[in-house]
Amino acid sequence: MLQMTNIGKTFLTGQVQTKALDQINLEVDEGEFVTITGPSGCGKTTFLNIAGLLENATAGQYLLDGEDVSRLGDRQRAKLRNQKIGFIFQSFNLMPDLNLFDNVDVPLRYRGLGRGERHQRIEEALTNVGLWSRRKHLPAQLSGGQQQRVAIARALAGSPRFLLADEPTGNLDSKTAAGVMSLLHEINAKGTTIIMVTHDPVLAQNSRRNIDILDGQIRDDARRNTAAVA
Amino acid sequence: MEFGPILRSLLRNKTGALLIALQIMVTLTVIVNAIYIIQERSQHMTKPSGLDEANITHILSIGYGESFNAEATTDNDLRVLRGMTGVADATVINAIPVSSSGSSNGYMVEPGRLELAVMAAQYRSDDHAISTMGLELIAGENFSPNEIVRHEPGTARTDTSVIVTRAMAEALYPDDAAETTIGRIFYAADDTALQIKGIVERLQVPWPSADFAENSVIYPEIELDGGNYYLVRHEPGYRDENLPRVEETLAAQNDTRVLRENQTFEQTRTITFIPDNAMTSILSIVVSILMFITGLGIVGLAVFTINRRRRQIGTRRALGAGHIQILRYFLVENFVISTVGVIFGAIMTVALNMFLVNNFDLAPLQWYFVPAGMAVLLVLGQLAVVGPAWRASRMSPATATRNI
Repeated sequence: MLQMTNIGKTFLTGQVQTKALDQINLEVDEGEFVTITGPSGCGKTTFLNIAGLLENATAGQYLLDGEDVSRLGDRQRAKLRNQKIGFIFQSFNLMPDLNLFDNVDVPLRYRGLGRGERHQRIEEALTNVGLWSRRKHLPAQLSGGQQQRVAIARALAGSPRFLLADEPTGNLDSKTAAGVMSLLHEINAKGTTIIMVTHDPVLAQNSRRNIDILDGQIRDDARRNTAAVA
Repeated sequence: MEFGPILRSLLRNKTGALLIALQIMVTLTVIVNAIYIIQERSQHMTKPSGLDEANITHILSIGYGESFNAEATTDNDLRVLRGMTGVADATVINAIPVSSSGSSNGYMVEPGRLELAVMAAQYRSDDHAISTMGLELIAGENFSPNEIVRHEPGTARTDTSVIVTRAMAEALYPDDAAETTIGRIFYAADDTALQIKGIVERLQVPWPSADFAENSVIYPEIELDGGNYYLVRHEPGYRDENLPRVEETLAAQNDTRVLRENQTFEQTRTITFIPDNAMTSILSIVVSILMFITGLGIVGLAVFTINRRRRQIGTRRALGAGHIQILRYFLVENFVISTVGVIFGAIMTVALNMFLVNNFDLAPLQWYFVPAGMAVLLVLGQLAVVGPAWRASRMSPATATRNI
């Protein structure tokens, strides 16, 4: 489903070139739950940005569902992000002035779906995360864990091909984090591919596949037969 | 279109938006009324007088001393002026149109009905008045030389024939065409009977802002009170050359009088409209400054909200918003704020105009000024926000994953 060949990313700051990613070769199949680990500054977020079409690689080829997306224009990348990728951010990134319903509605409006279909998808997504009854609430009226559940609902409402999660439990206490991870595993169990960047070694050990990045390169790509729910 | 979420978001975050809406409201209120006043003044300033303005000059002669003979001086001055090279004609008159100084009277179609009086300027001149001023006689006849009366100060007015403007004839006889009123008799406030001998197309009164600006009556009279205005119409191309010569020539005729106001009709206009020009200039500056400040306010709010919402914009981009959708978001948001501002501004505009009408003798605002002002401010708002919104739309979607 996702195939990266010799992907590289170089940033130019003044006269200084910094290689954030170098020679990344990776394949992710449908239904996988992949964690990405590595120390701060190793290139995890850059990898996530490229995988999520938030920025372009400066080298290599990236195929998504067999389509070369390495050199797409902004409009096509925006369309693909909207239709194929669900994002979950460390700081939830909810719109503080919009209630939960309107927050989940944001990507659906960009897709141009009709009012009825949007309503049905929002209801389904918020019900799945147990927050439909609080759809009129603002994000600030929820706990951190609940806000992340809304972000997950927003990511799922568009029925994406895969979810990209950037430290989804980074701002949560361990109990709440366990709840969010449990939800992500449930979603994965239903067939949604998940790629998750994390600092947490326990989460990495419990995933079926963990890719360890160091200095912009894949140091280890470990697959396990079973995964425990964190 | 995200109209609903934008409106709900604004309602939850009102302060900045309300301040801008308030600014738009005040701007609309002030600029529409100011532009209306400017337009009204401009209409006064550009209203045609009916005179051959490009070729006319006037000079004031004031006699003094016991030896001054008003009648002889007037007759001699007119003879000399009419004989000058490049002078088409000259006349003596009691007041200069558009000069701010003259006399008016009330006129009625029935004697004693002062409550029905029509106001008009009264000009006293001779049979050269029409020719000198370059007026267009549309009906009846000019005065003949032998009906011009020399009027000594303090003597009573007598019944006479007069020439009136079309506007005056229509004001006296609103149901009849002006041309059909020749020969009719109407009355001055002192019940003097006046018969319409001729009608001219237009002759403005001395006070351009008067609501009877084109109601004029010309009497066949020369006032012998020692003070005369001489109106001189020059052949095309001679005006500027003749202007100093008129004063020199008259000064050489008589040394028991002073000569003043030797000026072209254009200069008369300029002097009369100094206050109006000053007011329109000040109001134009106020309008420009207000528009600029409002534009800056909108730009400021847009830049502020965009900087405050950088992550939100990045998130929207990550969730699939293209450049156009981000640009449209801020344009729609500004449109909502501006619409609230212009709706309340329209109400305040009408209220201020009613206040001005009641307290400062201003005509009521024409209805189309309000929607035109609303449209201008809505466009101003969109133009002001398009720059910051465009920069926001170029923001990278990767902003969503950065710690900002």
